[in-house]
Amino acid sequence: MSISLSSRLRRFGAVMVVAGVAALGSTFEAHAQKALNWGVGADVDSMDVHVAGTVASWSMYEMVYETLLTTDRNMVLRPGLAESWKQTSPTTYQLNLRKDAKWSNGRPVVAADVIGSIERITGAEMNPAGVAAAKTDEEKKKASNKISSYWSRQFGVIKALAASDDHTVKVELAKPHTAFLPALAHITASIIPIKEFKDGSFDPTRQLLGSGPFMVGAYKPKESWTLVRNPHYWRKGYPKVDTLNVLVIPDEAARVAALRDGRIDYSTFANPDIGRLVAGDAKLAVTPQITTNYFRMDINALAEKSAFRDKRVRQALNLAIDRDALASIVFAGAAKPDYPVPGAFGKAACKDVDTYKLPRAARLDKARALLAAAGKPSVDVELIASTGDPIFARIAQVVQQNAKQVGFNIKIQQTPVAEYLNKVFTKGEFDAALSWLAGYSDPSMVIAWWNPKFAVWNTVFHEYSQPLADALEKVKGAPEGAERDAQLVEVCRMIDDGANILALVSKVDFIVHRTDTMEIKLDPVSGSSNTYQYVAEFVSKR
Amino acid sequence: MRLIVFLVPRLVIAAITMFGVALLVFVALRLLPGGYAEVLLGPFATPEARAIIGAKYGLDQPIAVQFVKWLGALLQGDFGVSMVNRRPVIEEFVRRAPVTAELATLTLALALAIGLPLGVSSALAASHGRRGRLGRLVGALGASVPEFVLGSALIFVFSSWSLGLKVGGFVPLAQDPWANLRSVVLPTASLSVFGIALILRTTRDAVLRVLTEGHILAAVARGETPWRIVRHHVLRNAAIPVVTVTATYFGFLLGGAVIAEILFSIPGVGYYIYSSLEGRDYAVVQAGVLLASFAFVSLNMLADVAYALIDPRIGATRRRP
Repeated sequence: MSISLSSRLRRFGAVMVVAGVAALGSTFEAHAQKALNWGVGADVDSMDVHVAGTVASWSMYEMVYETLLTTDRNMVLRPGLAESWKQTSPTTYQLNLRKDAKWSNGRPVVAADVIGSIERITGAEMNPAGVAAAKTDEEKKKASNKISSYWSRQFGVIKALAASDDHTVKVELAKPHTAFLPALAHITASIIPIKEFKDGSFDPTRQLLGSGPFMVGAYKPKESWTLVRNPHYWRKGYPKVDTLNVLVIPDEAARVAALRDGRIDYSTFANPDIGRLVAGDAKLAVTPQITTNYFRMDINALAEKSAFRDKRVRQALNLAIDRDALASIVFAGAAKPDYPVPGAFGKAACKDVDTYKLPRAARLDKARALLAAAGKPSVDVELIASTGDPIFARIAQVVQQNAKQVGFNIKIQQTPVAEYLNKVFTKGEFDAALSWLAGYSDPSMVIAWWNPKFAVWNTVFHEYSQPLADALEKVKGAPEGAERDAQLVEVCRMIDDGANILALVSKVDFIVHRTDTMEIKLDPVSGSSNTYQYVAEFVSKR
Repeated sequence: MRLIVFLVPRLVIAAITMFGVALLVFVALRLLPGGYAEVLLGPFATPEARAIIGAKYGLDQPIAVQFVKWLGALLQGDFGVSMVNRRPVIEEFVRRAPVTAELATLTLALALAIGLPLGVSSALAASHGRRGRLGRLVGALGASVPEFVLGSALIFVFSSWSLGLKVGGFVPLAQDPWANLRSVVLPTASLSVFGIALILRTTRDAVLRVLTEGHILAAVARGETPWRIVRHHVLRNAAIPVVTVTATYFGFLLGGAVIAEILFSIPGVGYYIYSSLEGRDYAVVQAGVLLASFAFVSLNMLADVAYALIDPRIGATRRRP
């Protein structure tokens, strides 16, 4: 059978029309899909939200998981998965869960999820039957679903957890602990789906399954995440975008390039020079976000050979550091001198100690006098500035110059992160090291670390002081108010006297976004490393 | 039979080499200060938390026991799972290997395409002043410009003026060949500069050495044309050192070009291994180094075969009792 040329052409034309319509349709569909691209400097260190202790991990978890409470720009607690809460006595709390909150698999979030999550964080064995059935130690280890979360201590001592009904959780503490509710606002206190965890369909060490705005569509380790809208998210009409593509771009310059060419719409930078780097591009806006976090210096008061065993030497170094110079030289004025009780809380607790109150010349005189009294007019110090953040090396250089003025000869050691963590927190083989502390959303949470018996992670370098530990316990149990503020002043005085962990300057995050492709919502101040807590409200202009 | 005699000793040596590499890497990783628990927990690594993680991932067992278990699993094709996401690491290497292979192949092709003719031409013109000096200059410059400097400069220039190329944003070849090409031009360029210099200098030296040999003088005396002398007498005799450095360079590229991958966000094996080393994700590093050493050993074997093909005297000498 032969087909004429005109017939062939007609068929070809028809096919083209159908193809064209199909293509047009898919184009419209593609346009209906709104997406944003987020550039991050590092991937998660673990999938386990209750364990990981790095900001890179926390930021990612916040896209998927939710906490019972959250905090606003004034560090005031706001509803999260709990729509309301009340303290029914100094040691008891009632949390009322949202009835419309669901996991991304569609199952409602219930009280058992909250209780199970808190139990997991506080170190309960989540597979007691499996462990009991195991015969050997090896089998018991394998069967165990117990974790050790650093966050458990921030809850205080939980005496009892109970559910009145599916949406009401009652918590009883062994003694008053004011930071209990703020501790629930940190991402490490995320609520995970316990039913799925217990029946084995969800493994929090391998997967992310939450009730937050997004769920994981695809994951390419150390390369990208494709987060898609959680269809069961309780905020109707949110998130505003269907897809959030997360690109892991470790190199800062490459991330700037990605912002410029539109591959990413927003990213966070620690480098204060970022404003200068993107100044020529009108489409890029830089938003500094003040946090309750601050840079700090750990000093080894316990190593046998360390000159810092003598408190006067530690105090001398603390006095010699010029925090104003750090803020202006390293951070181009974007940061401010900071205190053990972070300045972002707006409390004057630590401002009256000599380290902050005395003029620079008087501080230097006092530092020299302290070194002379200690019989060490010249002290050799190795200062570790890990390669985890290039800022550490810059801070170290300024501190080196400051300290030289009173007789400290500081040698800066740049070490890889794992080695730094091992030397400082495991072995305690160091003189001084730079890092930063998360300030969270209540002053008692961060200053609690000055009690090594509570913190545990600093027992190898931090002197234990019973009076300070007692004072910190008092603060933890005291309700907000003038009396607590007075206690904080006393605690600050003791912390300054011990000079074992030195608060340096505030840690400011710089968020860069493309103004032509997105609308972003950020708080000027962030308390719980929750920079992108309004991600559900981010709008794509594409 | 000749093939078996040729291959078997090499395969045995390759297996011993790879076992040695595996053992060395396994032990070295565990001797490094700082472990996975410390990286995972950050500054909150209490002894109890470290112990729980150690028990969970089998890191609390003696190194010898860990090695035997790992080796046993490896012999059954199990490369282990990543501590970070609990996924089999081999899946990730299979996904990333084509990217690295493409980048390595393009880089090598560019290095050969430029380095070989420049090397030959530079050697032939060694006594002619400018062209000879130009070759030496290109070789010295290429070998001395660090990859990160060139890469950073390319990023700066092309992020300001894209000129049709992409700074990062790798697109797989299968997804869009044109976009793929646009995304690999810059990393290939930054990587290949060293390769160009290496091949140029090696070729130049090899050709210069051959040019001084007697059979070249004889060919000239016979009145053969310069092109014929180069094609028939010089290139083949100068090829062996070039093959050696080419195989070594290709092996190096297949092991992952960490800096180029970081700068240009290329999802290859280099950055994956490097960042896993920083994060003490042992299974990834062990598998990565083993696979890289496999590539290296295989290429060396291929180079051995190539020697015999280029110069039959090599095979003949080695066959002699």
